[in-house]
Amino acid sequence: MTADFPSSDLTGRTRRRGGARFFRRAVREAILILCLVAAGYPILWMGVSAIRLDRDIRSRPFGAPVHPTANNLRAVFASGRFGRGYLNSLVVSGVSVAVSIAAAALAGYAFARGNFRGKELLFLLFLAGMMIPVHVTLIPLNRLMSAGPVRLKDTYFALIGPYVGFALPIGVLILRGAFEAVPRDLEDAARIDGCSHWGIFFHVGLPLVRPALATVIIFNFLTMWNEFAFALTLISRPALRTLPLALWQFKGERDVNLGQMCAALCVAVVPALVVYALAQRHIIRGLTAGAIKQ
Amino acid sequence: MTSVSTRSAPARFGRGLFGFLLPALVIYALFVILPIGEAFRLSLFRWPSAVSEPVFCGLRNFAALMGDAVFWSALGHNVLLLVLSLAVQLPIALMLAVFLSYPVRGRRLFRTVFFAPMVMPTVAIAVLWSYVYLPEQGLLDQVIRLFDRGFSGGAWLGGPNTAMLCVFATICWRYVGFHMVLFMAGLAGIPEELYEAARMDGASEWGAFKAITLPLLKPTIRVSATLSIIGSLKYFDLVYMMAAGAPEKSRELMATYVYRLGFEGGQGRFGYGSAAAVMLFLVALAAGAAVTFMGRRTND
Repeated sequence: MTADFPSSDLTGRTRRRGGARFFRRAVREAILILCLVAAGYPILWMGVSAIRLDRDIRSRPFGAPVHPTANNLRAVFASGRFGRGYLNSLVVSGVSVAVSIAAAALAGYAFARGNFRGKELLFLLFLAGMMIPVHVTLIPLNRLMSAGPVRLKDTYFALIGPYVGFALPIGVLILRGAFEAVPRDLEDAARIDGCSHWGIFFHVGLPLVRPALATVIIFNFLTMWNEFAFALTLISRPALRTLPLALWQFKGERDVNLGQMCAALCVAVVPALVVYALAQRHIIRGLTAGAIKQ
Repeated sequence: MTSVSTRSAPARFGRGLFGFLLPALVIYALFVILPIGEAFRLSLFRWPSAVSEPVFCGLRNFAALMGDAVFWSALGHNVLLLVLSLAVQLPIALMLAVFLSYPVRGRRLFRTVFFAPMVMPTVAIAVLWSYVYLPEQGLLDQVIRLFDRGFSGGAWLGGPNTAMLCVFATICWRYVGFHMVLFMAGLAGIPEELYEAARMDGASEWGAFKAITLPLLKPTIRVSATLSIIGSLKYFDLVYMMAAGAPEKSRELMATYVYRLGFEGGQGRFGYGSAAAVMLFLVALAAGAAVTFMGRRTND
């Protein structure tokens, strides 16, 4: 506090500047707190409303949960959508992340160390993929998957394919950069010792790019976990609906019941927020580092 | 064999790496390149009805698109969101990052909360915010009523002039924390001594911000702007889910229009929708090339 209030033996000018500094700090922190409320209150409201009755929420939306109820949550679990949604999202995102990280690591290594014709052009082809909105492919993918020789529509693969395809560009870009940063001497030494490509990639390169692998995995997993457009167009069987789709369908039915909807929101969001709270540093880095490379 | 020079040994060795590229290349070709090509092909056909065989119609879909007011409104909304992102969202994010660069109690808490919406699924955000904008009983109307008892409630997401702006506010809510973290990282890279020197020279805080922070933060600002430009064409989820009740000309982006043409209304306008998708592709490619080119020029 003393820093904000210069002692009285200073000149009037500095006292005014001290006052101005205090004032500026007050304004800064007031704005920050206002933004904190704007950012956090909707999430808090969602949590509180999940244990309130619909009519209470509507009559006093900002009220406290004076009569907490578990009925909303019970109704959400009784709908049976969300367990299945979690399972489907976990399978689709898990498999997609595993396949995409493997393919992207191999390709990133090839682009970093390979020496073949058309390398630059192929790399550019992957890079361009980052700029393309996935929505360009919604109609054609739907037709290819429902009419083609292999009917992928309404299977897990209908989502895994495009998820991996559109996850590759960012993965290839980040991992190429990471492999390029690996000292060549290490690889040369391994090669002279008779290591194969695979051996060098697996035993020398891969362990050294682990931070980049983590970045790509976190970035892509969250993107896939939250993905909506492909799930909406390529999945119609209720048993295969991912979590976002389950939530959307639930809204279609229970939109009039705010309490149940907020309970459903909590079921869909709280586990992700808990993971975020625990692994915050990694997730923030994964999302921002993943984006910066674009 | 041992007489091969050390220069060409890695070079020759590297040729074998093409095989490493194959898995990625095959998946990428099947699920990204092929569908884009198929979009171009489909855009040349029309379906007289949803169940009938397609008929080749040349570029007629594109000609129709040029006279389609909804398509132009959709493109306009993409541009609107882009301009608002650059003019509103990035400055707010920068302001928050600068404010948090001062010694503030609970700095971590601020960062955690501001960034939290980034890990929420867009569906959850759309549902949650539809209750913020709910006419009469929504949070926004209730807050306004605290100050103006007679307020009769706004149309918000259903209104022709407000729908897109309301969705933009939600977009801001989701992404401000993300850009803020980018800016915080950029700010951390500016040496503290520069500010001390400026303070000794009697520079005001605003003066130091203009003379030191902004110029040194330029690379970060460029990254944020690039992401906003490319991202503005990828917006779909929030707009599709939140603005659905607004009039057609007030609710579409290019991506949502493509979706609605292809999948809603049961008209099976696959050809016309694909033509819109091709336009989206071309605009995205042009925007991508433009930011890449601009980035390269300013880097030199």
